[in-house]
Amino acid sequence: MRLILLIVTLLLAGSPALARVKLITLPVRQRVLVQLDHEQATLVEEERIVPLVKGVNQVDFSWAGTSIDPHTIVFRLLEPVAAPKATQAEVLAVSYPPGENALVWDVSASASGSFRVRISYLLGGLSKSFNYRAVAEHDESTLTLSQYLRVENFANEAFDDTSIQLGFGDSFEKPIGVNETREMLVAKLPGVPIRKTYTCDVVSNDYLDAGQKKVLIPMHYVLTNDTDHKLGQAALPYGKVRVFQKDTSGGTAFTGEDWGQFTPIDDEMKLYLGVAQDVVVKRTIARRDRTPIAGNLSNYDVAVQYEIENFKDTPVTLDIVEHPANLRGEAGFNSDRGASWTLGDQHTLGAVDAEHSDIEQATFHVELPARKGDKAEKITHKLHLVYRNEWN
Amino acid sequence: MKTLATAIIVLLMATAPGSVWAKNIDLSTVPTRDTVQLTIYNAEDLTLVRETRRITFKQGANPLQFSWAGTLIDPTSVELRFLSDAEKLSVLDTTFPHDKPQMLYWNVASDFDGEATVEISYFTSGITWSADYVGITSADEKTMRLDGYVTVTNRSGEDYQNASVRLVVGTINLVEQIAMLAQQGVTMERADARGRVMRRAVQEAESKAMFFAGVAADAAVPLPGAKQVVKEGLSEYFIFAIEGEETVPDGWSKRLRSFQADAAPVKVEYRYRPQEYGDQLMRLYLLTNDKESDMGAAPLPDGIVRIFKQKGEAGLAYVTQQAIKYIPIGDKIELQIGVDPNVVFELKMLAANRDNIWGTFGSSVRRRMDEPGIRIEDRGVVEGWDEHEVYEQVIRNYSPAPGSITVEIRRSFGGDCTFISQLDAKAHDYRTVQYRAQVAPGDTLRLRYEVTTRQGSNAKQNRVQVEPGDPTPVAWAD
Repeated sequence: MRLILLIVTLLLAGSPALARVKLITLPVRQRVLVQLDHEQATLVEEERIVPLVKGVNQVDFSWAGTSIDPHTIVFRLLEPVAAPKATQAEVLAVSYPPGENALVWDVSASASGSFRVRISYLLGGLSKSFNYRAVAEHDESTLTLSQYLRVENFANEAFDDTSIQLGFGDSFEKPIGVNETREMLVAKLPGVPIRKTYTCDVVSNDYLDAGQKKVLIPMHYVLTNDTDHKLGQAALPYGKVRVFQKDTSGGTAFTGEDWGQFTPIDDEMKLYLGVAQDVVVKRTIARRDRTPIAGNLSNYDVAVQYEIENFKDTPVTLDIVEHPANLRGEAGFNSDRGASWTLGDQHTLGAVDAEHSDIEQATFHVELPARKGDKAEKITHKLHLVYRNEWN
Repeated sequence: MKTLATAIIVLLMATAPGSVWAKNIDLSTVPTRDTVQLTIYNAEDLTLVRETRRITFKQGANPLQFSWAGTLIDPTSVELRFLSDAEKLSVLDTTFPHDKPQMLYWNVASDFDGEATVEISYFTSGITWSADYVGITSADEKTMRLDGYVTVTNRSGEDYQNASVRLVVGTINLVEQIAMLAQQGVTMERADARGRVMRRAVQEAESKAMFFAGVAADAAVPLPGAKQVVKEGLSEYFIFAIEGEETVPDGWSKRLRSFQADAAPVKVEYRYRPQEYGDQLMRLYLLTNDKESDMGAAPLPDGIVRIFKQKGEAGLAYVTQQAIKYIPIGDKIELQIGVDPNVVFELKMLAANRDNIWGTFGSSVRRRMDEPGIRIEDRGVVEGWDEHEVYEQVIRNYSPAPGSITVEIRRSFGGDCTFISQLDAKAHDYRTVQYRAQVAPGDTLRLRYEVTTRQGSNAKQNRVQVEPGDPTPVAWAD
């Protein structure tokens, strides 16, 4: 369907009749702004110079083949362009003819002349998404993050010389044709420091080999959205992140992709890239004791033992995450009450990372040295939890 | 322009006693409408139409035919009144012919020869009005330009030209729907009952002391054709009267501005009220329908508010749209803007422990079980205890806006609870605690509190008490 988005000024000044037979002038678009800063809606604003005569003018706005929400149309008179400066104009009323994608504004002007007007409306079919390309240095200490905006125009309306605004950064002008998809580089940020994490969390990730009690260890890149980490100019929108790593020959290799969650300033974007095969953790429940107090009231002792080996040639930090209520059940103590836990005297994992912990999830960090030659050091740690005043 | 569907016809026929109306051959004159007034209710599909026409009467009996083919008029509500020479004119009888739907005959007795003005009033369905609002906040979100609109939609089957239009805000009681009555035939009992209802409504409208609550502040110098919407209070209702006359053809809608507030002060507040806004921290614009805000002349009827934000040269940003309920003069306007992605709001439970544990030993002996010295071989079953839970409410303000944000939090608790904190907390109701906080830009606020819930046989009440105090320290988190 041929798109029609038409604004006409009816030369019927002073006449209140709503005739549909008319003589018209066609004010052309001077400027178009597409606001993509809203999560769900696309706001289009267009500026036109509209000639008005003294008295009441009818300005007819119609559209076809586009999904404009007529209730969201806002008509604003900005300033007189070719008219005495003191000229005033105001929208008196809007009429909606039956069965048409159109409306008619009654605009009153105190003198004849042209006015700059801005018409805003929500338009369906114009969608946006973000994606990222991250190229890590060979040593994985930093990466270059490129952010792309993809605009898909199924609105049945061409936007030539359109200014696109994202709600952050500068606006940019790109034409977007009908049924066209355009991907644009929004920002390229070099030298963004990466934190690599390895996580042992059997509840979230399960076992790699359940028979041998070997835990699946995912590897993540963590980007911190602040100025210290060369980011922090704006929140990072949700989008797919493709990660590449530079190799020694000057090329790059694709190392994985993940959905980057919406990340406000100062927050972290955590990207799961794959399973770490060179960090091996065997997890077993080493202790399960019930200490009766009185009647059916008891304390429970549960200890988890971790045998950890780092076969990589670089030292790494392993994050160990346990869920005390799940662990209580895993040890055979069934209860639907909150887990009232404290660290026991056999605990060797060190302090709880308070920032990443709560009653349901305790996080610890273990530093693992690099393998020496072809030998990896086996490190053994225990998490000892005491559950007090339990019964079933 | 289409032919008007309602018509009154003066039948030219013998007026001698005993004369009969022609069955199939009639000669008639058609007096035109002089004025028409529409009073449109928004709570029901109901419009009171009052039209005047001039009719020349002859002394004796004057048959009048009124018909409304193709419209949605309630036949039981049609009434004829004489605005001039009322003492010389009277309706002897009204006939609804069985073979002619959407038509009636009045038999008018006249004591004189001459012209009189009559008013015909009736209820119709199919004409509705609604309110809506467009709010544009300033870039710093300190003020809002709020425009109120009324839209009249005519799907009644009748063109109303040059009508004076009055819009009624308020909820009225109807015992039968007008649209249904328009489809039904008529009985005299129903016509009488409906007539009584309408007479009362019209009398009330005319006898109550009306007051002008104010006039919308429009442009300082009236522009050609500019109209005002005058608001008046009436009993439990409010009437918006549109100045002058409007033409709303059948099938059309017309939207007019009812008020304009140029710079209404706006307060931004964040609220956590799960029962009202779901499990999320809602950002709100708070305004007041008062004079300081360029409003306060009338209540704001139910309607959709569409909110934009001014971005200077960059134009507008769409924010949200929301339905608001009737807002009386002087009341708050609370607009839910949505969740602010720049304010992170999370609740962490840091610790849980139990004490004051009581059990039953044997059939009736009850004693505390978590005390030193108790013999472990005693057979007993826990039946009552106190559950202590320590929480940390974390609020991070990453918003680029200068100045602190205000956050109000309400949380509800079931059972026999005590809320212990050093926060400025108070009981909102018997099971809900409310506290407020300010968070500076870039800051992270951690609000710690403890909830003690008496469980099992320890529970004696079902309410939350707010007490000042320090929550129990959490070894791993402190």
